[in-house]
Amino acid sequence: MSESIAPAGPNRLTPWLASFAAFVVPFGFVLAPMALFLVYSFFSVDHGSIVFSPTLSNYIRFFTDPVFLPIFWRTCLLCFTVALLCVLFAFPVAYFLTTLRGRSRYMLLVLLLVPLLMSYVIKIYAVRSILGGNGMLNRALLATGLIDKPSMLFVFNLNAVLLTLTVLLIPFAVLPIFLSLERIPKALRHASADLGATNAQTFWRVTVPLSLPGTLSAMSFVFVLAIGDFLTPQMVGGQSGFTFGRIIYSQFGTAFNWPFGAALSVILAAVVILAIRLGGRVESSRGRIQ
Amino acid sequence: MTEAGILLKLRSVSKNYGATAILHEIDLDVHDGEFITILGPSGSGKTTILRLIGGFTQPSGGQILLDGGDIAAMPINRRPFNTVFQDYALFPHLTVEANVGYGLAVRGTPRAETAKRVADALELVQLGPLGKRFPAQLSGGQRQRVALARAIICRPRLILLDEPLAALDVELRRHMQTFLKSIQTEIRTTFLFVTHDQEEAIAMADRICVMSAGRIEQIGSPHEVYYRPGTEFVAKFFGENNLVPGTLGPVDGATRAIDTAIGRLVCAVDGQPQIAALPAGGPALAVFRPEAVGIGNGAGEGNRIAARIEQVAFGGASTMVNAAALDQPQQVLKARLQSRPDGTALSQGETVAFTVPTSACRLVPA
Repeated sequence: MSESIAPAGPNRLTPWLASFAAFVVPFGFVLAPMALFLVYSFFSVDHGSIVFSPTLSNYIRFFTDPVFLPIFWRTCLLCFTVALLCVLFAFPVAYFLTTLRGRSRYMLLVLLLVPLLMSYVIKIYAVRSILGGNGMLNRALLATGLIDKPSMLFVFNLNAVLLTLTVLLIPFAVLPIFLSLERIPKALRHASADLGATNAQTFWRVTVPLSLPGTLSAMSFVFVLAIGDFLTPQMVGGQSGFTFGRIIYSQFGTAFNWPFGAALSVILAAVVILAIRLGGRVESSRGRIQ
Repeated sequence: MTEAGILLKLRSVSKNYGATAILHEIDLDVHDGEFITILGPSGSGKTTILRLIGGFTQPSGGQILLDGGDIAAMPINRRPFNTVFQDYALFPHLTVEANVGYGLAVRGTPRAETAKRVADALELVQLGPLGKRFPAQLSGGQRQRVALARAIICRPRLILLDEPLAALDVELRRHMQTFLKSIQTEIRTTFLFVTHDQEEAIAMADRICVMSAGRIEQIGSPHEVYYRPGTEFVAKFFGENNLVPGTLGPVDGATRAIDTAIGRLVCAVDGQPQIAALPAGGPALAVFRPEAVGIGNGAGEGNRIAARIEQVAFGGASTMVNAAALDQPQQVLKARLQSRPDGTALSQGETVAFTVPTSACRLVPA
């Protein structure tokens, strides 16, 4: 039966090629390098050259050395805070977008996403010039008289990393939240009002719970992007803004210890996968929109 | 201002979207405790009426009066009405119990009382054991019952039902019709039911408001709209019917004659003063149901029309006979006869007399 439907000749190969590309490309370019990292993480380095014999020394070093674990936890906390802040800022924006009608809604959405088209480094520089000791923020605070000398609270430290990451990653949080809000049928809000709920009650009892899948995937999205970032802490973090990403970067760069860098990357990947799973888990268990 | 027995009054209510008029000056009274059905084809404005009463949209003109007071400025959540939505609009993140108890929860009803009333409402709609489920785990009919329980629990003055049975299959729909009607009788709450299904309207309603193109065609009991249509639209809307155009004669007591191409027909006009008041000599249509038609040469009361049988279609309980009038072959006449086990003696091409009792023949303005 399918014979008569399937196109004859070379066209028959097309589905095979498509599946081949669909499976081989991610395998070849994503899974294979990751597997390579996993393998390398069990090697070691001796006098600048890699020793290809399996050892757990890299992992033992990570868990026993007093330097790495605190930075690891601090980075996780930092990125969690970034994710939380991004969602808190993005939610009102996304909610406002859903209240708009027609063209203005998508115009504004596109405007929000324009920063994604800009070079990441340029954006970091832009934020850096705002946050610096003589930056716009400090000058504005001085001008309003809130402080009488430039504040160092957000200059080349972890706070600067936090603020920069938050500013840069907000667009990534807006989109999933907007989509989940947009997916809530209007009839549900009508039903809520019809049953006597005030607008605030409808918001907290219907809109927020139903947007939770999108909000949480936005959070895991931002968390994953933030934790993998080494450029931002490098450029605005200074001496104290040391993060896990910077350590990994240094292992591949200055320290030239690829196996240890690979082990740290594997640990980071595990955290990332966990974060994505957590975000997706809520989506599947709570996203019961008919 | 308040009239006894009238819950809600619509006075000259109109609704426009831009230049398009959806409703033209609607006047409608909803009586306390009745089951009123708004019936009309899609685009007739029936759902708009429901949305106006529910507060989901504002009228462009006219007044909606509850106990004599205009409720135009009353927000949705303050109106003592609850709605059963077309696609139920159950909250997907809440259990059946939480869905049903929603209206009480937002009013700050004590937990114990809420639990009791939720249990009672679920019992009423025969969903007792399903309280812990989520809407996605229910069948269409069950969701329908949850939506009904959710609307009933707040003890509204009026329950608005927006084509709630449209998504169900035929058998389940029949069952739910009976069920809805029995619930309505039990709780004695006013139901305003919107549907496009004539049978559904006839099966459930105390009164039917037939709508077409944003206007009310007729309001009356199912029996009235079926046997005494007020307009040509209504006469054509409920199943098959015979319509014969002609010129009105004078009124003679409770009857009035109409001169048609197939002869003079005498129709009843009792209870229809607006028909009796139509000017003589004006155009009108004689209307009579196929099931009111008798076939035979015996002496029958009322109108006799000679016709040639064109088709005899056996349809189970009844047999449909299509015939052409002898005086005017373009005029199709239909008769619905009770089927008999030994079949009908009628055959195609045969000339017979259609008899229509005067009481079964009615007039509508053309």
